[in-house]
Amino acid sequence: MTRTRIVATVLVILALTLSLGMPAFSQGKSLTLSMLAGYKEDVLRANLPEFEKKTGIKVVVDAAPFGDLYKKQLLSLSTGGGRYDVLFMDEPWVPPFSEFLLPLTERMKTLDVADFIPTTVASGAFQGTQYAIPVDPNVQLLVYRKDLFEAKGLKPPATWDELLAAAKALHDPAKEKYGIAVTASSDIQTALYMLLAQWSYGAELVEGGRGSLNSAAGRKGGEVFLELLKFTPPNVRSYNFADVNKAIQLGQAAMAIQWASGAKPMEDKTKSTVAGKLGYTRVPKAVRQTPMRGVWTIAIAKNSANQDAAWQFATWLSGKEFGQFAVTYPSATSAIHSPRVSVLKDPSTRAALPYAEALLDSLQITKERPRLREYADIQENLRVTTGKLTAGELTLDAALKEIDAGTNRILGK
Amino acid sequence: MAIGSAGRWFLLPGLVFLFAIDLIPLVYSAWISLYNWWLIRPRDIRFVGLANYLRLGHDPEFIRAVVVTTLFTSGAVVVEFLIGLGLALLFAQPFRFLRRLRVLILLPLFVVPVVGATMWRVIFHPEVGVLNYYLNALGLGRPPWLSDPTLALVSITLVDAWRTIPFMFLVIYAGLEVLPGELFEAAAVDGASGWQSFRYITVPLLTYIMLLAVLIRAMDAFREFDIIFVLTGGGPGTATQTVQILNYRAFGLGHMGEANAIGLVTLGLVALMCWALMRLILRPRPAGG
Repeated sequence: MTRTRIVATVLVILALTLSLGMPAFSQGKSLTLSMLAGYKEDVLRANLPEFEKKTGIKVVVDAAPFGDLYKKQLLSLSTGGGRYDVLFMDEPWVPPFSEFLLPLTERMKTLDVADFIPTTVASGAFQGTQYAIPVDPNVQLLVYRKDLFEAKGLKPPATWDELLAAAKALHDPAKEKYGIAVTASSDIQTALYMLLAQWSYGAELVEGGRGSLNSAAGRKGGEVFLELLKFTPPNVRSYNFADVNKAIQLGQAAMAIQWASGAKPMEDKTKSTVAGKLGYTRVPKAVRQTPMRGVWTIAIAKNSANQDAAWQFATWLSGKEFGQFAVTYPSATSAIHSPRVSVLKDPSTRAALPYAEALLDSLQITKERPRLREYADIQENLRVTTGKLTAGELTLDAALKEIDAGTNRILGK
Repeated sequence: MAIGSAGRWFLLPGLVFLFAIDLIPLVYSAWISLYNWWLIRPRDIRFVGLANYLRLGHDPEFIRAVVVTTLFTSGAVVVEFLIGLGLALLFAQPFRFLRRLRVLILLPLFVVPVVGATMWRVIFHPEVGVLNYYLNALGLGRPPWLSDPTLALVSITLVDAWRTIPFMFLVIYAGLEVLPGELFEAAAVDGASGWQSFRYITVPLLTYIMLLAVLIRAMDAFREFDIIFVLTGGGPGTATQTVQILNYRAFGLGHMGEANAIGLVTLGLVALMCWALMRLILRPRPAGG
């Protein structure tokens, strides 16, 4: 009798759980998402229940830090393990992963593509085929202290020469106030800062299938980058992305070149002593203006058994609703923005994000890194060699030669 | 005799287990190292023989990484051994309060390496780190612990020492505890000084234990990854780029053949180091010390 009661109770609980608690999951739709760990993951997780409730699709999030994400995705995709249905990936990974991803060109026609910033759509394409949809557009911006610039009667710098002059004018190490915050460590950001300057002077990392930074333009850009390091906080050789933010938030640096995703915490009054005092504009130019693009995209594994559900998730993540939610979500180091023009132009977005206009403006003219399958290796070579340059192991000339030699070796030239 | 033969069969499960978890992956790894296998090109896997190994032999970055690894290993093991030995000798003294401190000494051993390294990264932070706060207060400035090439190598060595001194202490202390007290009493009766007792009784009796501890730690330090990766990532430049960091990069970029070749060369180097240390341990010593 007692046993019968227990069995009956368990069955009733199970039935209630299945019928009330998780009505949608009973359909058996479940996706595994490979996600970047950290604050972008937090934004996603905070809004995920809405998606699951609306669609009945359960999303299992497998998050990994930036340094491990490429490896995990590469291993899973290339070995055909089928571990992931959907993958949140940095745009330079789209070319090497393309042959393992589901082409989305046809499906894209069902979306309101005109609402996406055009350059962000390009971030998910490779050799004429769309493999990923933009989710989180990122671009380098120049951040500056409006109050300090006004006090010195300076204009926001538009060129590298003006940037150097402003950095020099605002540099006062005795008072622990520094002209500009950038990284000069072996971090990837250091290499990208130098590349930004080199691009501005007309150099290319790869041109005609060969490494081509060892040129007059490449040298000039490198010299400007090294010159800039004279006006930075003393320990930028150990800085990373978060340290650049910290230098601004603590009021130590008058300027920074930083990805737009880092701007939101700078405007958070609980974390920043300079919230509301910052201006945002395009990165400096020389012979051309080349703010670097770095869009986080969402792609679907070719061997996923849940391609339709994955597409539903991908469109939701790149949609207006999620974009609008992300605008208001607090962020400690790195935020998610929306690739949608309508979201970035929305008055509520403009009110919440003082840099929204600069973000949209820079994304219109942004420059992409080489779209090559071998790019991850090329960028790693650039990172290591730039690290040797800033550590004093190599001269600029030797570094440029080594970068090109490494690029050519990777490209088999 | 029959019992002896039957006894050998009891080794079989252990040998099968060892074969399965050690030898099969090792042989597979060696097999992969003979291929040019890049994960982004899964249809272009080519047999290249020893090319991956020959390339390492001519790669200045790899040779430098071996030098850095050797410097790090030597520095770390020497510091750990000397401090571990000193602490073991101190704690072997009959002071009751010292014995109560033993648990505290062992604490770093229980900290997960990544967590410990992250903690030290904050401590070493040039501007907000507690270490530089006090050094600056003492008028010693704010040393760039992780961004100066020499200091960075020193820093990772010190953090490794912090984590593993307890191991060295524990092994040597255990050895000291089982030394026969009669020998020391006899030496004291004969008028031997503390130093003489240490030099002519403690050291010879502890030699094997100490060398064993050094051997284990040297193998471990040569393969150290977590602390270096978290603290410096191999930088600044290539100042702290060890063989393991190179291996991680090769795996990370999907170069399976090259990465496995680096792994096996590391194994060879560690085996060579073990052989040299074992020779040192087992060399005949002149009688009478």
